[in-house]
Amino acid sequence: MKEQTVFEKYNARTHVIGRVCSAVTLVLLLGAPFAIGGVLGAMPDLGAVGRAFLSVGLVWTVSSVVEFLVYTPMLGAGGGYLAFITGNLINMKIPCAVNARDIVGAKTGTPENEIISTLSIATSSLVTILVLALGVLLLAPLQPVLQSPVLRPAFDNVVPALFGAMAYRYYRKNMTIAVTPLVLMSVLFILVPSLSGSTSFMVIPSGGIAIAIAYLLYKKRRKEAAI
Amino acid sequence: MGILKQLNSAPVYLICGGIIAFVAVLCVVFMVRAYRAGLAIGMDRTRMKRAITSSATFSLLPSVGILLGVIALSGSLGTPWPWLRLSVIGALHYETQVAQAAAEQVGMSTLSAAEMTPSGFATIALLMSVCIMWGMVLSVFFNKRYTRKLGAGSGNGGGGGFGDMAMTAMFIGLVSAYIGSYVGGFVSGGGMFAFAGDWTPLAVAGAACLAMAGFVYLSEKKGMAWLDSFSIAGSMIVGMAAAVAVGLVF
Repeated sequence: MKEQTVFEKYNARTHVIGRVCSAVTLVLLLGAPFAIGGVLGAMPDLGAVGRAFLSVGLVWTVSSVVEFLVYTPMLGAGGGYLAFITGNLINMKIPCAVNARDIVGAKTGTPENEIISTLSIATSSLVTILVLALGVLLLAPLQPVLQSPVLRPAFDNVVPALFGAMAYRYYRKNMTIAVTPLVLMSVLFILVPSLSGSTSFMVIPSGGIAIAIAYLLYKKRRKEAAI
Repeated sequence: MGILKQLNSAPVYLICGGIIAFVAVLCVVFMVRAYRAGLAIGMDRTRMKRAITSSATFSLLPSVGILLGVIALSGSLGTPWPWLRLSVIGALHYETQVAQAAAEQVGMSTLSAAEMTPSGFATIALLMSVCIMWGMVLSVFFNKRYTRKLGAGSGNGGGGGFGDMAMTAMFIGLVSAYIGSYVGGFVSGGGMFAFAGDWTPLAVAGAACLAMAGFVYLSEKKGMAWLDSFSIAGSMIVGMAAAVAVGLVF
C-alpha cells in the first residue's frame, strides 16, 4: 500500500516535471532559429515556413501523432516525455527501452516497467548527447575515419544491424505472431518498392496485424486455460 | 565572412550547446528520480543497474551512426545546428529529408552551403523545428490522460495479461516492417523481381540475427548471463562488420 502511494506521488510529479520541461524545450527549440537568425542578421521567412509546412510538414505531423499514440504505451509516462524531447524513437529509444524491459523482465503497465523505461531512455539519451558532443569536439580527426569508404557501409547499416539482432530475440519466442506480418510486409515491399521511403508508416499496419494475431492467440489460450 | 563560418561561430555553438546542456540535465533529473523511486518501491538495485548498463551499451553504436548524420549535414548547415537537432528531438532518417525539402521550399535547388543564405538558414531551421515538434506538444497535453487511461485499461497496472503481449506484438510488427523493406529492396529495388537491388541491409540483418543467436546460446546454455547486457551491441558490431565485408568483397 505504501509502495503504491510512493509510486503514485512519483508519477504525479513526473507529469508536472515532464510537462514543464517539454514546454520549455519546445520554446527553446522554436526560439533557437530566431536567436541564430539574430546572430546572422536575418530572421526566418515566416511565409515560406508556412508554405513549406503545408507541403512537407503535414506528413510529419501525422507521423508524430501516430508515434505518440503507438509508442507512449511502450514508454510509459517518464520515458514518453523524455523520448519525445530527445527524439530518435524508432532507430534507438523504442528498441532500447523494449530491450531493457526484456532483460530485467518488467511487465507492461507495472510501476517497474515505468521505472525501467525511464532509466533506459534517460541513459540512452545521455549516451547520444555524450557521443555527439565528443564527436563534434573531435570532428576534424574523426571525420576522415568515419567517412572512409571502407567504414561507410557499416554506419549506413546501423538500423538493419539493430533490427536483425532484435528480430532473433523477439521472433524466436513468438514465431506464430511474427510470420504473418513478416511475410505480408515482404510481399508488399516487393510488389510496391516505392513504399521503402515510407517504412515508418508501414509499421502501423504491420503492428496492427501482429496485435490482432496476438489477441487471437491470447483468447485461445484463455479459453484453453478455462477448460 | 562565409556562411559556414557564420554558422560555425561561437555564438551559434553557445545557443545550441546551451539547449543540449539543458536537455542533458533533464535526462539526469529523470534518471535520478526514477532510480530513487525504484528503490522506494522495493526494486532490486542490480536489476536497475542492469537496465542502465544494457541501455548504455545498446545506444553506443546507433549514436555513432547519428554522429555521421551530424557530419553529413554540417557541410550545408554548419556543425552546431545538426548537433542540436540530432542530440535533441530529431531523428536520423527525418532531419536530412526535411532539411532537403525545406531548402527546396526556400528556393534552393539543393541543400548546400554554396546556395545557403542567413535568411534561408533561419527559415530551414525553423521549419525543421516546427515539423517534428508535435510529439512533444501531444505529450504536454495528453501524456497524463493517455497513460492514465492505459493504466486503467490494463487492470490497474497489474501487468502481464494482453497488454504485455500487445506491446511485444507491436514491436514485432515494427521489426517486420523494416525487415520486409530490406527484402523488398533486394528483390524489386533494381526492377520488379529483378533481384538486383541492394542486398547489404538484408545481409547485415542476417549476420546480426545469427550473432544474436550465438549470444543467446552462450547466455542461456553456457551460463554466461552477463553477456545479455552486451548482446545487442555485440550483434550490431557483427552486422556492421558484415556490411564492411560486403563492401570490400562485392
